[in-house]
Amino acid sequence: MLVLRDLQKKYTKFRLGYFWSLLEPLGMSLVLWLVFSVLLGERALGLSPYLLFLSVAILPWWWFTKCVNASTKIFRGSRGGLTFSTLPPQIWVMKTVISSAIEFLFSLPVIVLAIALTRDLPGIYILLFPVAFILQFLLLYGIGLLVSSLSVMIPDLARVVKIVLRAMFYLSPILYSISNIPEQMQTVAAINPLVGILGLYRIGWWPQEQTSTTALVISLSVAATLFIAGILTFRGLKTRLFKEAK
Amino acid sequence: MSIVEVSNVSLSMPRTKRRQGSGRKHRLLRIAGETSRSMIPILDNVSFTISPGDSVAIVSGKPLLRTSLTRLVAGTLNPDSGSVVRSERVVAMIGIARAMGASFTLRQNAYLVGGLMGMTQEELTEKIPGIIKFADLGNYLDRYLRVAPSNARQRLAWSLAMAIDARVYAIDGTLVVGELEFRKKCWTAIDALREEGATFLISSHGGKHYRRFCDRGLYFDQGALIADTTVSKALALARKSRQEPGGE
Repeated sequence: MLVLRDLQKKYTKFRLGYFWSLLEPLGMSLVLWLVFSVLLGERALGLSPYLLFLSVAILPWWWFTKCVNASTKIFRGSRGGLTFSTLPPQIWVMKTVISSAIEFLFSLPVIVLAIALTRDLPGIYILLFPVAFILQFLLLYGIGLLVSSLSVMIPDLARVVKIVLRAMFYLSPILYSISNIPEQMQTVAAINPLVGILGLYRIGWWPQEQTSTTALVISLSVAATLFIAGILTFRGLKTRLFKEAK
Repeated sequence: MSIVEVSNVSLSMPRTKRRQGSGRKHRLLRIAGETSRSMIPILDNVSFTISPGDSVAIVSGKPLLRTSLTRLVAGTLNPDSGSVVRSERVVAMIGIARAMGASFTLRQNAYLVGGLMGMTQEELTEKIPGIIKFADLGNYLDRYLRVAPSNARQRLAWSLAMAIDARVYAIDGTLVVGELEFRKKCWTAIDALREEGATFLISSHGGKHYRRFCDRGLYFDQGALIADTTVSKALALARKSRQEPGGE
């Protein structure tokens, strides 16, 4: 119930800029589509229709970056009311994940728009879309716990996270398809937990997206490891977290 | 029967200042993690109990000690060793005002902070008119906090805390609120609560408040509990140690 109230908090910001959560990814997709499909159209990067291909991955990516970036700030300064509230501090991480997830759900019309423009309806595997959503939710919760507690200890972490996220944008199959990567490298690329999740998002339209099961298993187990690591780190640093609160 | 039982508690806190020196050597050390977050001992093997109806003052020259101890008692900080046992809910009036968001209305802030303090949504809906009335902020209820008077945060914080059905309060340095009129109101509220048998733990920097509100004083020096006596005796001890060279 408290999470609900925290959402209410976020909603105030929403009213000012709900359309931005639509326009931002849409603009990003359009720009990338222009560059990679129209300008550099000769090279086969990703799968067609490219606009749809991009937006299906960019929205979850957007959610991912926003949430991870927000996690670095959760317990900085006097946020969180840790000085007077006896509620478990995890709810703040949960709040961040949920509100960014809702933002993601709100931005889904972009995909609908892309479907309308490209007239490419998904197949039966679209049912894996919600599965991917749940997996990403759990992954983000884990990463959120990890990042939020660690960045209290190491203030520089916020900067590092930014760089890592930038790198991950290019290391994840967002602009390209996992099938663009040479066969033997696919397993290595799968260490990135987003590979498996983005694949699941896309599988509805492009069943060939998820060719290797090993890659999926590796990717998801990395995600699970991050989840557990997050919970354990947070538990370990909880006392310290309270001490740092001002 | 005691309300709060603090036994053999030791605690150290991270140094509040992040930067210590600016030279290259310090910077390197900081990166290496040697000096960056050193811990300073705050409490050393402290034990005491608070009984119902007590009004306890924490007398110490260190603000960090006072705040930490209030938080320990309120349960928003865990001791490194030892234990703090509470038999009743303690309302912590520590940094409430700072947790409010300037871009929310007062009503939203009341829900948010009240919720964090453990009140339910229905309870708040019912109590908010009274809270606002106490805070005397009726005109601002649905306006953003940033356009409200500058002391609105403190007032709202106070009113929220007073609205909770609790009988134990841990107050940290927030006794001086707003203008004289509101302060009087708060102080009368405290007096009324004390008469009803509520329990207080108060941390403040001035002896004046202690004499006004407390009947028991805990005097700390070098992290150890030196004396558990009346307020005036504790304050006298503090004054004495200030005058002596080497004292706190």
